[in-house]
Amino acid sequence: MNDQARIRYADVVEQTRAWVRENFLYMRPEWPLDEETPLLRSGVVDSVGVIELVGYLERTFGCTIPEREITEENLGTLGAIGRLVATGEARVPAQGVR
Amino acid sequence: MCGLAGIARSTDGPISAGSLRQMAAVLRHRGPDGEGTVVGDRVGLAHTRLSVLDAANGAQPMDIEDGRLSIVYNGEIFNFLELREELTAKGHAFTTRTDTEVVLRGWAEWGEALLPRLNGQFAFAVADRRTGTVVLARDRFGILPLFYAERDGTLYFASEMKALFASGAVEAAVDPRGLDQVFTFWGARAPRTPFAGVHALEPGTWARWRDGRLTLRRWYQIDLPGAGEEPRDAEATLGLLLRSAVDHRLIADVTVGAYLSGGLDSSLICALAGRSSPDPLHTYSVTFDDPRFDESGEQLEVVANTGSVHAVQRITDADIGRVFPDVIWHAETPLLRTAPAPLFLLSRLVRERGTKVVLSGEGADELFGGYDLFKDLAVRLFCHRQPGSHSRPRLFDRLYLQDAPGARGSGFWRGYFLAAGSPDDPLYSHLPRFRQAEWLRGFYAPDFAAQLAADRVDPLEELRAELPAEFARWTPLARASYLEMVTLLAPYLLAAQGDRMAMAHGVELRVPYLDHRVAEFTSRLPETSKLRGLRDKRLLRRSAAWVLPQKMARRPKRPYRAPGVAPFLGRGAPAWVAEALDPGSLRRTGIFDPCAVAALVARCRAGAVPGNRESQTLVAILSSQLWYHAFVEGAGRPQLQGGLVPLTSQRKR
Repeated sequence: MNDQARIRYADVVEQTRAWVRENFLYMRPEWPLDEETPLLRSGVVDSVGVIELVGYLERTFGCTIPEREITEENLGTLGAIGRLVATGEARVPAQGVR
Repeated sequence: MCGLAGIARSTDGPISAGSLRQMAAVLRHRGPDGEGTVVGDRVGLAHTRLSVLDAANGAQPMDIEDGRLSIVYNGEIFNFLELREELTAKGHAFTTRTDTEVVLRGWAEWGEALLPRLNGQFAFAVADRRTGTVVLARDRFGILPLFYAERDGTLYFASEMKALFASGAVEAAVDPRGLDQVFTFWGARAPRTPFAGVHALEPGTWARWRDGRLTLRRWYQIDLPGAGEEPRDAEATLGLLLRSAVDHRLIADVTVGAYLSGGLDSSLICALAGRSSPDPLHTYSVTFDDPRFDESGEQLEVVANTGSVHAVQRITDADIGRVFPDVIWHAETPLLRTAPAPLFLLSRLVRERGTKVVLSGEGADELFGGYDLFKDLAVRLFCHRQPGSHSRPRLFDRLYLQDAPGARGSGFWRGYFLAAGSPDDPLYSHLPRFRQAEWLRGFYAPDFAAQLAADRVDPLEELRAELPAEFARWTPLARASYLEMVTLLAPYLLAAQGDRMAMAHGVELRVPYLDHRVAEFTSRLPETSKLRGLRDKRLLRRSAAWVLPQKMARRPKRPYRAPGVAPFLGRGAPAWVAEALDPGSLRRTGIFDPCAVAALVARCRAGAVPGNRESQTLVAILSSQLWYHAFVEGAGRPQLQGGLVPLTSQRKR
């Protein structure tokens, strides 16, 4: 990951962490949510939540997440989400990041 | 059916007749037609009667052998006439036409070997008043309830836990592990209950109390071996078995009606009962204004087909909110769903219309692979066989698009479901459902969570440890079916949503699909007779097509559901909700964290409730508050018309 990607990774992780806290962990603001906390297996994000998560990532970071990329490997932790979005594995359309 | 209660000491000494009467008094809804108690040196029995057979002579407690053996019995034995003949041939001289006497004389003759001979639903206690020995027994699948508690060398038992508390000797205290099971499985698994030191007799077991010791024995365990091929005559055999199961359950001296949801299972029961009844069958349904829950179109088609006399209980959000405290009083447990509330109102309608007994379709989904959970399992296993496939997970779209309209394509489902554990895990089929409890636990009050953590008992580990030895050799569908029976059917569907809601108004439920002959026949069928691809209940549908129009026999399953948030937070929400959600009240209860609850309620009020889990959590919180208030705080039975009635004047606090 180059410097630009690293900065973007940190930004994606921080923003997504705040979004997950607000939308899924609102009952436990102090719940530990580090980059490797499992989101799916721990039940933080449920099946409907995955739909919301993908929608959020696409809206916020201006990317398109192809169907084949919607996997636990890519969305299962904040770190995985950061890597997916920051390294451009999720396609970034021409108009770029919002 | 009826209510039973009793007290058995370990040493000679008086039994309080007053305690027995108080126990019977809180069970009067189960048996409004009569009441009796008998008090001996070591044993006292009480009974409230719903007379269905031989109303003139069936009073209980019933004695034989000059009063040596006494029984209190709740249930129906559908093959009692055959057993009566057998016992008569052995010299027993019957004095009534009841199945109660058959059970009592059967126990005297055969002891525990009586139990496998019984075809029916039952819970009973037989006391040998000379030795002070008491035997408790419960039916195969847990259709009828039986609870017990030991205090100071004395055994207390009853059809409902509220009768134990009414004895004045058993306190209602929270069992955190019981509650954690409720929030994981929707009901605590017997022997555990949500109350500390209060146990449910497990389905298919019996117990002997002698000299202050209770010994438990299992007498029935379903085996689900499956088979390679479907027998050639399977369709006809199943048809005959179901007809016999329904016909047996029409035996009564009172009107027998049927619940009609509009789905395949109840439609088939209604069609079979309609054919066997000399008079038009009385059918009963709930309808909802909200089309997401309503099945009235399907119901009316069945009514037209069977020619039944039909009555409908329309359910509004306000109705659910209004009766929910009474529902919890009868269910005796917190709930994750409001679905029992409409059935509480339906049983009231049934009773008002003069019907005492109704047939119901419980059990068919478990036995014939009817739930989406079974299809979900099949798809997940199908995907696991080819992990790289993008087309296979798309099958999930067909299962869940209604619940998750934004779901799309293979990746979404692969990411979610395939992450739900390994197929080698015995609980694999149920892990996505059980995992939802993890999120709900986030709402636990810190002290409550700490108590559970100190116990270091994971409800899933407990369940894994208690699986029968045969489980490992069953097929994945059979395993899922078994888990469904022990985690949902017995603790919730037959109890909180079944017996307790019907008996709230003195209505007896009879469940033909849980006739053990039907259950054991289906257990020996290959998986493909139940589920193939996403086509469910295959053999049942083929068999149903003999008596139902094709359209009804092929009708896809619609899960029975009721609204979860609107009844409590919508317009016209009942006043008790604000009290239940008050931070002080939540702190007193100590189960859920007030700040977490406030955050959830704010989101629900704002309409930001994306899925079922928020709705389930809200229902869990509200029902826990009502449950705690009614039982642990001892407020007693809520009255729909206002005011609270104390549970008993002699409560130990």
